[in-house]
Order: sequence, then structure tokens, then C-alpha cells
Amino acid sequence: MKKRLISFLVAAVAAVAFVAPSAIAADLTDVGYIDQAQLASLPVFQSANAQLAQYQAQMQQRYSGLVKNAKTAADKQRLVMQYQQAMSDKQREVIGPIYARTQMAIANVADAKKLSIVVDKRIVVYGGQDITKDVISLVTSPKAIAPPSATPPTSEIGFVDQSALDDAQKVKDAATQLQQYQQSEQKIYADKLKSAKTDVDKQQIIADFNKTMQDKKDALLTPLINQTKAVTATIAKSKNLLLVVDRADVVYGGTDITQDVQNALSK
Amino acid sequence: MTLACAVALGGCARVDVHAPNVRGIAYIRMDDVMKHHPLYPQLKQLEESIAAINLEATLPHAPLSPAEIAAQTKDLNAQFKAAEDRTSKTIADLRQSYAQKEHDADVAAAKAAGVDPAAIGIGAAMTAQSQAQAQAAAQAAAKDYLAYQQSVVAQDTAAQNAIAKQLSLQAEQKLRARAEQYQQDENDLSLRLAQQDAAQRLSLKMKLNNLALDPSSRKSVQSRLSAIDKKEADQVNAMRARHRAALQAYQAQVTKETNAEIQKQTAAIRSESAAKLNARREQVGSQLRSLGAPPVPSRNIPPDLAAQLGKIHQQIAAQFQTDAQKAISEFNATRDDLNRQFQALHGADVGATGAAAQELTDLQKRHDQLQTQMQTQIHDEAVRIAGGMGFTVVLDNVQAAPGGYDLTNDLIHDVESLHE
Repeated sequence: MKKRLISFLVAAVAAVAFVAPSAIAADLTDVGYIDQAQLASLPVFQSANAQLAQYQAQMQQRYSGLVKNAKTAADKQRLVMQYQQAMSDKQREVIGPIYARTQMAIANVADAKKLSIVVDKRIVVYGGQDITKDVISLVTSPKAIAPPSATPPTSEIGFVDQSALDDAQKVKDAATQLQQYQQSEQKIYADKLKSAKTDVDKQQIIADFNKTMQDKKDALLTPLINQTKAVTATIAKSKNLLLVVDRADVVYGGTDITQDVQNALSK
Repeated sequence: MTLACAVALGGCARVDVHAPNVRGIAYIRMDDVMKHHPLYPQLKQLEESIAAINLEATLPHAPLSPAEIAAQTKDLNAQFKAAEDRTSKTIADLRQSYAQKEHDADVAAAKAAGVDPAAIGIGAAMTAQSQAQAQAAAQAAAKDYLAYQQSVVAQDTAAQNAIAKQLSLQAEQKLRARAEQYQQDENDLSLRLAQQDAAQRLSLKMKLNNLALDPSSRKSVQSRLSAIDKKEADQVNAMRARHRAALQAYQAQVTKETNAEIQKQTAAIRSESAAKLNARREQVGSQLRSLGAPPVPSRNIPPDLAAQLGKIHQQIAAQFQTDAQKAISEFNATRDDLNRQFQALHGADVGATGAAAQELTDLQKRHDQLQTQMQTQIHDEAVRIAGGMGFTVVLDNVQAAPGGYDLTNDLIHDVESLHE
């Protein structure tokens, strides 16, 4: 009897041990998403954009005349910088407050729904919590939006700033090299295309050109991309993250591992 | 398909969606799934067509030589002149024919009214009417002359610009070819010298690698090595200086020749323009001179007959006007078409780009529509599979995935069977 009890207890412990991870680690439910395109179509954004476009048209007219009459390249450069600064200031002035209010609304809704990350709708294939309506309702309400009560909880979904990673010197060098190669190959294949007699010949030339470019890309860029992905995965794993997305797709929250990836890649 | 889904889901059922490293989250690699979609070959074909246009757009458009431009311009001008002559003849024939018709109708009406046509000057009236029509045609010709003058000036300006541009381009190509040749010669010399001195340089470098070499010997070897480098550099620099001077001289010569050729060609065009305008002016002048004598005043005509003659005149004039207008419209259409051809001749690049750009836009639109259709279908399948398997979230465009479940292969399996 005692033996049976021990056997049962052993079996029960084994069963608990077997199912424990699933029971302890619950499924992720704190992922939200927002339709940024819908948000951008709000009258408040539309009107701000129209205002900005009008200002841009005025500035373009003014500065194109000035640039045309500029005597030296340095003068031209200075004018272009002035134009860019003016546009940037205006954008901050017109869009800045609306953007800040929207960010506050997203943070508020995310906080209320206990979301650890809010991503753009375009990367969500299934599931997640759609907070678009709540955010729109808050943004368009006349009330002031209070800051959220807490910072977002730690998310098991991380993100990397892909544009920052692409800015690494070796990636830029490879991209430049690929671009130069493309230009030279384009000339060669364009000449071949010119002398092609039939559509079949043309298709073959295009296929050859694409293959040449793909091969070059595989040789130049793919190793760098794979290396970045591998490093990102390793760091994500060390931080107990499940997935890593691009920063461009993250609207709020998430765990930023860009710096760690950059550090690891630069070693 | 049902069987395939069942197999797919059967396969998926082995996945522990709630495992600690999955936690209900999955991802797909949309690009990879797209490649297995039954419509992918069509999408790829569209992409290749777009690539073909883009590739062709990088081709330097084969520019026409000044002689070709001149020959084609001459041909277009000849066609223009032929169209003008054809129209003038058609209108003259019509005028003659309708004048005769009116005359015959007037004579018949006079005779029917018991009046001698000659006694009331019907022949003169016909002449007067005919003259009025001729005058209207001549006025139209004078008006057309002004338009023609403007068109000739605009066309010739375009031709002059095109020729100047073309000749300048040819000059640039000549200079570039010469510069490239010089560069090649310099590279060849540099390489040849390096090969000549290779053995000596290697021997000196090996000596330098000898750690036991005393400082004075080392210095001597280094200076010999430097001397070799300097000797080679001097020779290459000397050649470069010669080339620079030769290139400058060649540039001056090419510029002079190009300017002279541009002047010669533009002078020829101007002369042709002046001749064309003179010819047209002469033609219009002769039209105006051929108007003939002033209309003969009508004699006493019975009121009924006068009314009938007036009616006949209105009918014939209206018919003439209709037929003449038809001939003029045909001429205008021909003239517009020739003008378009002329513009295409001088701006052939723009025309070709315009047509290619339109095709590119159409292809891109079809590509985007097809891509969206495929993505929507894949998305729907992903939702169905993810829901069936019990995932809470499925994402796309994932950069790295130390955890979660890769739903791509399940989706590929499902998508491949979509059109089975």
C-alpha cells in the first residue's frame, strides 16, 4: 500500500514537473495594436498635415528663388539648411502637440489594459488587443489626458532599431558596393537587352540580371544580415524575450535591445 | 484541400502552443509564404516585366545624329507641304465645282422664270460669289500663314537646340574616350614598370626583412627601394603631365570644331526656315493676287427670281462650306500629327520615357493589386490556422525569434494546396 502511495506521489510529482512550465508561464495576452493609418486620417491630423503642406509650398517657393540666385555653393548649402530647419521647426510646432497628445493617449489606454507593448496593426496577423478605438476616443475628447500611472511592464517582446543597425559602417559599405555593382551590371545587361531579338531572349536576360544581383547580394549583404539576426536572437534569448520586432513597428512599450546588439556586433 | 488542411492541422496539433518557449505566440515569414502561393509565378512575371522596363530605362537612348535629324525634319516638312498642296487643290476643285453647280442652278432658275440669264448677269454673279469664296479661302490662308510662321520658328529652335545638344554630347564622348585612353596608358605604364622592377624590389624587400641587417645597410636598401618607387612615379607623372597637356589641347580643338559645326548647322536650319517662309509667303501672295476682278453689280432681276437665286446661293455656299471644312479638318489632323512627329523627333527621349513610364505605372498597379490579393489570402489562412491551433498572437516581420512558434511552414503547406 505504502509502495503504491509512493509510486503515486512520484508519478504526481513527475506530472507536476512535466506540466509546471506550461502552468507557470501563461500565454502572452499583453500585446496590443493600433491602426496608425486610421489615426492619421483623423481630422486633427489631416488639418495639421494640410497646414504643413501649405507652409512647405510657401517655403519651397521662397527658397527655390533664393537658391537660384545664390552665388556660391556654400550659400546654396546654407539656404538648404535654413529651409530644412524652418520645416523642422514648423513640423514641431504644428504636429508636435497632436503627436504628444496621441502618445499620451496610447500610453493611457495601454496602461489601463495592462499592455506591455503596442505595435502597429500591419504586423499583427492574428490576435492581440486592438486599442485603436479607445485611443481615438481619448485623442478626440476635449479633456486633458493625464499621464499613465505607471511605466509599461517589462515585455517579452523586444525590438531593435533596424535603421540604426543598418547605419553600421560595414553595412553601409556593403550597400554602397552593391549599388555600384548594380550600376555597372545594369549597363552591361541593358546593352544585352537592347540587342535581344525575341521576348524569350529578353526574359532570359532579365532572369540572368536578377540572378547576378541576387548572387552579389548573397555574397555582400546576406552574411551581414544573418550575423545581425543571429546576434539579435542570442541577446534576445539571454534577456528571455520570445520575439524581436523592428522598432518602426512598435508604438509603445517593448524591450529595446538595440544597444546590446550594436555592442555585440562591434566586437 | 480539406485533406491538406486536416493533414496540416494534424501536424500542427503536435505543437505545444502553451509551452514556456512559445506562450501562445507565433510568427510568420510572409515573404517566404508568398513564394509558395499559387499566384506567385504571375507576381514574379510582373516583377520581371517591371525590372525589364527599369533596366531598359538605364540604356543610353541611341541619339539621332545631326544628319538623321536633318533628314527626318526634311521628310516631315515635305509631308507637310504635300498635305498643304493637297488641301489647297481640294478646296480649289470644290470652289470650281460648286461655282459651276450654282451657275447651272441659277441659269435653270432664270430660264424657268422666263428670263434670259445673260441679260441679268448671272455669269458675273457666279464670278462674284466665287470670288467671295476665294477671298475667304485666301484670308484663311493668310491666317494660316501666321500660324505656320510660328510653327516653323518653334520647330527650328527645337531643331537647333537638339543639334547643339547632340554635338555637345558627341564632343563630351570624344573627350571622355580620350581621357579614358590616357588613363589606361598610365595604368599600363605603371603596371609595366612595376613588373620590370618586381625582381629587384622583391630582393630589396627580402633584405629589409633580414633582422640582422645593420642600420647603414638597411638605410641603403631603403633608399634604393625609394629610388625605384620614385623612378616609377616620375615616369608615370611625366606621362600624366603630357597627357594633361594633350587633353587640354584636344579639348580646345574639339570645342572649336563643335562650335563651328553647331554654327554651320544652325545657319543651315535658319536658311531653310527663311526659304520655307518665303515660299509660303509667295504662295499666299499668289492666292491673294488671283482673286480677280471686283464683283459685277447685278442688273434688274424680278423679285421672285432674286429670292430664288439667293436661296440657291445659300444652299450651294452651305454645301461648299461643309465640304471645304471637311478638307480643312483633315488637313489640320495631318498637320497636328506631323507636329507631334516633329516633337518626337527632337524630344524622342521624353516620348519613349513617357510611354515606358505609363506602362510601368500600369504594371506596378497590377503588381500591387495581385500582391494585396495574395497577402489577404495568406492572412486569412493564417488566421484560420492560428485560431485552430489556439495561439493568442501571430506577428509578421519579426527580426529574431528565440521563442514563439514559426507558423510559416504550416502556412506554406496550406497555401500550396489553395488551388488544388
